[in-house]
Amino acid sequence: MLQLVVGQTLNGVIVGTLYGIIALGVTLTFGITGIVNFALGEFMMIGAYATWYLVDHVGLPFPVALVPAVASAALCGLAADQMLFRFTRNNLVNGLLVSIGLISIVEAGALALWTATPKDMSYVLTGALRLGGVSLPKIKLLAFGLLAGVIFLTYAALARTWIGRAAYAFAQNPEAAMLMGVRTDLMQTGVVVYSCALAGFGGALYASLYSLEPAMGGLYILKGVEAAILGGIGSLIGSLVGGVTIGVTEAIGSIYLPNAFRDAYGLVFVIVILLFKPSGLFGNEL
Amino acid sequence: MRIRLGWLSAAALAFALPAGAQETVKIGQIEAQTGPNAIYGWMSSQGLPIAVDQINKSGGFKVGDKTYKLDLTSVDTRGDPKEASIQLKKMLENDGIRFVFGPFLSNVFVTIEPYAAQFNGKFLLMGGATRMHDFVGAPGHDFVIRTWNWDAGPKGFGNLMVEQLVKNTGAKKIAMLIQNDQGGKVLADIYTAMFKEKHIDFQLEMFDPGTKDFTAVLAKLAAGKPDVLFPGYGDAAIADIVRQSTEGNFFRKFFLVRGSLGPGLKNKDEIDDYFVYVPKYFEAAEKTDPKIAKFVADYKAYYKRDFPYDQAPLCSSSCYDHVFMLVEAMKKAGSVSDIAKIRQALVSMTYDGLWRISYDEKGEEIINFDVVHMTRGGKISVNSVEAR
Repeated sequence: MLQLVVGQTLNGVIVGTLYGIIALGVTLTFGITGIVNFALGEFMMIGAYATWYLVDHVGLPFPVALVPAVASAALCGLAADQMLFRFTRNNLVNGLLVSIGLISIVEAGALALWTATPKDMSYVLTGALRLGGVSLPKIKLLAFGLLAGVIFLTYAALARTWIGRAAYAFAQNPEAAMLMGVRTDLMQTGVVVYSCALAGFGGALYASLYSLEPAMGGLYILKGVEAAILGGIGSLIGSLVGGVTIGVTEAIGSIYLPNAFRDAYGLVFVIVILLFKPSGLFGNEL
Repeated sequence: MRIRLGWLSAAALAFALPAGAQETVKIGQIEAQTGPNAIYGWMSSQGLPIAVDQINKSGGFKVGDKTYKLDLTSVDTRGDPKEASIQLKKMLENDGIRFVFGPFLSNVFVTIEPYAAQFNGKFLLMGGATRMHDFVGAPGHDFVIRTWNWDAGPKGFGNLMVEQLVKNTGAKKIAMLIQNDQGGKVLADIYTAMFKEKHIDFQLEMFDPGTKDFTAVLAKLAAGKPDVLFPGYGDAAIADIVRQSTEGNFFRKFFLVRGSLGPGLKNKDEIDDYFVYVPKYFEAAEKTDPKIAKFVADYKAYYKRDFPYDQAPLCSSSCYDHVFMLVEAMKKAGSVSDIAKIRQALVSMTYDGLWRISYDEKGEEIINFDVVHMTRGGKISVNSVEAR
């Protein structure tokens, strides 16, 4: 049993980083633009399908395909920002409505383009590492490393670069940041685009792990928002910790309780934590 | 003005139609041609137009002194019960269609059944959905004809498959990982009862539709040290389950009564045994049966593309043979509109097409089928089984 628990804790950590990268996008967008972008799951889907298309149809190697796939998600994010989100800045309800509308549009487009039939991309990396009795697929370890790396790089960039400090300043006091020379419009657009690129990156790695369906984004944005709330909205490291916590809760919950309700286990955990710490695990940061 | 236009239209129509114009019989099809569970519906939607085209190109068919051609309306439900309900309503109420093929998905059937039952005696619904078994032959459900073998019972295909599995692998304990929906629950009910009867130990876990990461539940099932994994039922889930089972070293032996050979073939170097029920394993059958070879050639000619060998095994009798059977039944009944007579003629018929098809007393089909056994490296053996 110990081996089972250890194995699934590790698996939960790996799966949780995928929730974490979406949560990071949610928390960044909310911190800078004041909207909860529920359409981030759709940008993840765009990244995933673009990767599948570039690998299986164009014939690009996976590492090469990652770049245009992430770029396509970012470009779609830029278009969405310029056409929609820039009119809903700091308006939570309008932003929410626009992002929900965008989900319908993007999903319908994906259905028309690729149908609802799942796409199973060619395997990128096969085999598993065996540690004691625990078997960890190499592709999951690679995805974990890349996702965690990007999350830490984002954290480092925000903490140590001028842009990062400007973003923090803007999140705390937009007027003061503007007076200090921060170009607010550019900052907000940049954060929306970067969040979409992060989601696209998560989608590209998702394509290497699982089969794809147009509705895949819906589940992941829910997990991403859960993770962001659990970690504490505004906390970058909280996003990762929140995602990993939900991933581990689901994995361990599935061992001891019926698997059919695995999505509920993370949510129950979030509710319990929020009862004791309403601002989330790292809610006081920023 | 409106009256004048009406007369003009009628006159134009009279001139447009030749005197000996043929009548048409409208048939419909409601299947998931796309979507996570499209593996059954897609192939059915591929075969049906070929049969219609062949019948029409041969000049149609004669019932009484009239010659008829078929007019097919085939829609994609995407496996969405709401979409299927709308399409069926349109077919029955607007288009005047009285012969509908499909559905293959139980959740779709369960949703459309109350509405369809209002038209009992006025149309036929010929599909393979597992849940149709509970309704076929039941009072008020003459419209239901099930076009798929039943799993359970002394001669059920599931029974025969489990016997083969035990014989080939010596399996004593089976782990079941089944989708948590209408079709999955029926599947779990059928096979848990069957395993109990055969004194085979089993573990059952359900998963939500849309689940992608099965690692935790696979690890949990593997901890019970079963001999075989029995996943169900759509390829969308099975592809992820088989991959994660082999990558995580949880399972290398699989037993499928729903789902295709495709996920097994993609992981063929990591699998020890992969047993799968298929109505017809075309790669082997076309070498020995001229009718199958002709169907494959006809497919290539009609669609101008290669035959989809990976999808085709889940093609069922209602993808092709049933259209010819329906025509024969109309001829025998001497009517294209007397639904009761046509149904009687259909279910009392034994037809020798791509399959040998007959019906039990309720209106559930009995067809010969294949069990494919794939071993490591993709080595395939096929066992053709007579259902009765």
